[in-house]
Amino acid sequence: MPHLLQDLLILILPAYALLDNQGITILNYWPVTVGLVAGLIMGDMHTAMVIAGTFQLMSLGVAGLGGASVPDYGLATIVGIYLAARTGAGIGTAVAVGLPVGLLAIQFDVVIKLANNFIAHKAQEYAHKKEFNKMRMINWLGPLFFTMKDFIPMVIIITVGPSAVSAVLNVIPKWVTNGLTIAGGMLPVVGIGMLMHYMPTKKYIWAILAGFVFAAYLKLPVFGVAILGLAAAIIIFQQGMAKANKKNAAVAEGVDDSEEGDDYDE
Amino acid sequence: MSKEKKQTPVNTPGVLTRKERHSAILRYMTMGVNNFNYETQQGPSVVWAFSKVLRKIYPKDDEYVEALDNHFKYFNTTTAMANIILGATLAMEEKDGIKSKDAVQSLKTSLMGPFAGIGDTIIWVLFPTIMGSIAGYMAVQGNPTGAIAWILFDMLLFWARIKLFDLGYNSGVKLITSLGERLSIFTEATSVMGLTVVGTLIATVVKVYTPLTFMTGKVKLAIQSGILDKIMPALLPALVAYMVYTLLGKKSWTPTKVILLIVVISLVGAFTGLLGVQPQ
Repeated sequence: MPHLLQDLLILILPAYALLDNQGITILNYWPVTVGLVAGLIMGDMHTAMVIAGTFQLMSLGVAGLGGASVPDYGLATIVGIYLAARTGAGIGTAVAVGLPVGLLAIQFDVVIKLANNFIAHKAQEYAHKKEFNKMRMINWLGPLFFTMKDFIPMVIIITVGPSAVSAVLNVIPKWVTNGLTIAGGMLPVVGIGMLMHYMPTKKYIWAILAGFVFAAYLKLPVFGVAILGLAAAIIIFQQGMAKANKKNAAVAEGVDDSEEGDDYDE
Repeated sequence: MSKEKKQTPVNTPGVLTRKERHSAILRYMTMGVNNFNYETQQGPSVVWAFSKVLRKIYPKDDEYVEALDNHFKYFNTTTAMANIILGATLAMEEKDGIKSKDAVQSLKTSLMGPFAGIGDTIIWVLFPTIMGSIAGYMAVQGNPTGAIAWILFDMLLFWARIKLFDLGYNSGVKLITSLGERLSIFTEATSVMGLTVVGTLIATVVKVYTPLTFMTGKVKLAIQSGILDKIMPALLPALVAYMVYTLLGKKSWTPTKVILLIVVISLVGAFTGLLGVQPQ
């Protein structure tokens, strides 16, 4: 592929992935899924997947729930893959450059969500004026703003990135790249910590301990432990359902529960 | 689901065809949180998606504006789960028109919280954690199979989300409410599976390694393999995980701050030689 075409496609990729992730969710913005596409574009699947996999593991459990802004690991992946292909930088460097870009992009996220307030009010204003077409059209600004969030950093990376990275790499001392590689190994712990806060960790601490022992001592691969976890989940589900049914039977004795269908007047 | 709404002839006023309904939910699924704002969150997205079907339900301008205003209000839940809710409210509005306004609003408000709890846990936490660790492991070895499988799963999920909308539309409020309890048991059970995987991840994905060695007389002892690994494998990752978990529980520590802290610790560790990259 000619360089220009690659640049163009790699420029569009994050913008598309972002909109996809926030809407239709087919490709999503996971490091490995966008890494796959970036690998196809840049023509080096192996390097692309290694970088993507590193970011994927780093980002496990990091989820932007309830409108929270989280580091843009997908963007970091694309930046890393692009720079590795253009400058021949190693995996560690690709990660070290990609991560700050992903962290900076969060700041835009907040600004966009604030700007969208204005669109929401404007749209409602149009509705009140009975200009329904305008009401619909103005909503396209939201996706447009979000596209800019990843489009702008990508333009900068593509125009000045490769030469700047090469220049910086020549002056960066070894311990810094080393330190960033160490950080890359440790960072998945943040996502894991967040996961533990979303999930009923205190109630089911035994599940974490069991998973740890199976992996650390018995060296079972993650998929094998997931199957054991599934087995435990089935037991919990069956017990929960049995308990719920017993409770319902006690409460709703004699209540006619047969009419389903289209009655929704509660 | 016995006595169901029959497929209706195309141009009955106020009655929606299957195609019109699906085009509305596809609009919602495409917009999703792409115009998310802090104040009303997904409200405008719902309006944008349903503006055309609502126009058909409310041919009178005043009623239409009233219905739109109703949907402009705060709404936020996992988008996949919203499909069930929006299916049900669409059926309500189609049947009762503007009279259903308050019922529509209260259904949306009362269900979005619990549905987000279930949906976010499964769709944005458990599924990506399990899929991500498998696909991520394959990827670091240069293998794209996991990534491809993930995209295929997403396509399956896409189809399932349309089915969720149909389910909401066809069965109305009653099923949703009774589904709620079963779903929360389901979430609880899947959480256990997720936590088991979390335990595995701490032991395998998190890498903390010290290259320090300890000299006693003529005996050279590597701290990592000679001491730490003997006490417990993956001891340092477990300690770091506990530290991060505790920090994240404090209000003043955002994930970004924790990330920066880890980067600083790593740089200091690399500079002083306390931490190193684990030899393969």
